[in-house]
Amino acid sequence: MISLPSYLFLSFALFIAGIAVMVARKNIIAIMLGIELILNSAALNFAAYTRFANDNIDGHLMSLFIIVIAAAEAAVGLAIVIRFFQIKETIHIDDAAQLQN
Amino acid sequence: MSPSVNEYVNQFEIHQKLVAMVSDFLGFDASGLMAFLVFAVTAFAIVNVMALIGGLGTYAERKISADIQLRQGPNRVGPYGILQFLADGVKMIMKETIYPAQADRALFNLAPVLALLGVFATLAVVPFSSGFTLANLNVGVFYLIGVGSLVGVAVFLGGYAANSKWSMLGGMRGASQIISYEVPVTITTLSIVLLAGGLSFGHFVENQGGFPHEWFIFHNPFTFIGFFVFFVGMLAETNRAPFDLPEAESELVSGYHTEYTGMRFGLFALAEYIEVFVLCGVAVAAFLGGYKVPFDLGNGVIFVEKLGLPAIIGKNIGQVLQLGSFVTKTLALYYVVIWVRWTFPRIRVDQVMTICWKYLTPIALFNLIGVVFWMYAFDNQSLWEILSHLGGGSHGGHH
Amino acid sequence: MFNDTFFLLSAGLTLAGALGVVFTKNLMHACVMLLGTLFGVAGLYACIGADFLAASQLVIYAGGVVILMLFAVMLTGGSSDQANKFGIEKIAGMGNTKTYIFAGVSVAVISLTLLKIMAGYMKTFEQGELPPLTSTVEEIGTLLVTDHVLAFEISSILLLGALVGAAAIARPRKG
Repeated sequence: MISLPSYLFLSFALFIAGIAVMVARKNIIAIMLGIELILNSAALNFAAYTRFANDNIDGHLMSLFIIVIAAAEAAVGLAIVIRFFQIKETIHIDDAAQLQN
Repeated sequence: MSPSVNEYVNQFEIHQKLVAMVSDFLGFDASGLMAFLVFAVTAFAIVNVMALIGGLGTYAERKISADIQLRQGPNRVGPYGILQFLADGVKMIMKETIYPAQADRALFNLAPVLALLGVFATLAVVPFSSGFTLANLNVGVFYLIGVGSLVGVAVFLGGYAANSKWSMLGGMRGASQIISYEVPVTITTLSIVLLAGGLSFGHFVENQGGFPHEWFIFHNPFTFIGFFVFFVGMLAETNRAPFDLPEAESELVSGYHTEYTGMRFGLFALAEYIEVFVLCGVAVAAFLGGYKVPFDLGNGVIFVEKLGLPAIIGKNIGQVLQLGSFVTKTLALYYVVIWVRWTFPRIRVDQVMTICWKYLTPIALFNLIGVVFWMYAFDNQSLWEILSHLGGGSHGGHH
Repeated sequence: MFNDTFFLLSAGLTLAGALGVVFTKNLMHACVMLLGTLFGVAGLYACIGADFLAASQLVIYAGGVVILMLFAVMLTGGSSDQANKFGIEKIAGMGNTKTYIFAGVSVAVISLTLLKIMAGYMKTFEQGELPPLTSTVEEIGTLLVTDHVLAFEISSILLLGALVGAAAIARPRKG
């Protein structure tokens, strides 16, 4: 039951769910939810390989750094979203088509 | 030290015999099943006792507030009105459930359950006594902080789902307050983690002693300040006065649970009172010696050796003493929390954030560095040990 | 057996949450579904003995990221203009049939590729004897300040930059 294939399948499912969310949504926050799913799938893969195909735990540290980077990404991303909303009064991604103002 | 209730029970012969008997009867190795049963029974007992404590908390709150304000308090239902919380519970169950017309029904139903779920999940690592702990996780305090933040999400969702302005403001205030005050509380806990040398509550408690001078609060001046930082942060995290901005009656009617009726409101109230108990328990385990009893009475060896009692009775007397020690300290702290609520005025919403980010967080960081410095400079000795070395030199031991 | 049950529950929570994030039409519900997924992933970490990772997942995601997301939803809600400035009708924020078809196609392509790679790997993979689960906290602590100290320091600078940057970007400006 608890084996590498099942973990890889779960990670795969999270990854394609994240891709689907990122492609299908047009709301910036919803797209960021997809990014979180993809980062989680990557971290899960690292942890799974550490358990089943490796004898040190460096993979755990990689997962930990992925979690840290996800937190930083969410903070800065959401700050940008809020600033964008203050300027444009929308968070539709098609409105983010100008390089200035 | 027994890591969990299952291993504590396992050391007794009678339980091993019982497991063997059940295994014979069922025809397969039943130790897993029995472990599950032990956990289930203990979890059931803890949850029910905690619900009772949450209920009695409402009674205690009314009675103590009445005492402080020179009133009578509830005194009709049962002796001294002690059954008032049952009457309240019956009233809440009988009440009609009202959904606001614009409410998000799914989230509206989910929020109180999520609050209670987060609080009950934290109970798994609370060290009631050395044997009566559901799970002595090696990341115990980290787990508790993580699961406890579900309450913040629940407060936020409760405020959002009702689709009312008061609820919305209360929910936003609640969530921002809870995640802000997590910072000083976590940093203060980290200094205790350094002293104890581990993240589990077992480490926390086993590195303290039964007498006050062996507690972490009196270990050095920094932990003494740290305890008060922790206590203030704890009040704010559980939305207790003077930090009860999310449910400030005079401005927000009732904050995030304005639109809740009946038992859903009851679940929020229950979650709040149990969370106060759990966080008081964490404060006791981290700073006030946890379940430790003076003279090592807690492990029950003295009853077995001096009084000649059988091991099972002696050990269980020790456990009861430990449980009594823990619960007494926790309830004393609980009393202080209620006392603070009814004697301090509520502070302003900008002052809440000022206290957190401009005072408590720098103090907590300073404490963390101070504890590290103390451990480095004095070789991890407590203030008492240093003073007793200086004074008599009778111990004279080299560390 | 209990490990298997716990694994099944966590996996179910993860998959249900991920599907919910994909298919719900309500942004707030999507955030709550994401919370379910994150808790499920924490459970999956716990199943393979990554205890510290599971606890960090709970603390950082449940306590931090999801509440940030919810805050951002609250602070940016309320815009519902259906046309952009050229008068062309906009695609709905949570997607419509067209975007879902695009998503389906891209998912199909990516999953075919990925499954092909994974199948080739799975054929040759032999599961050896698994070591017993032990506490990883001490080992992670040691590795963080020895082998991985550079990454550790860089991530601390990254977090400081993110903190200051987020505060500077989101601050409302005069005028």
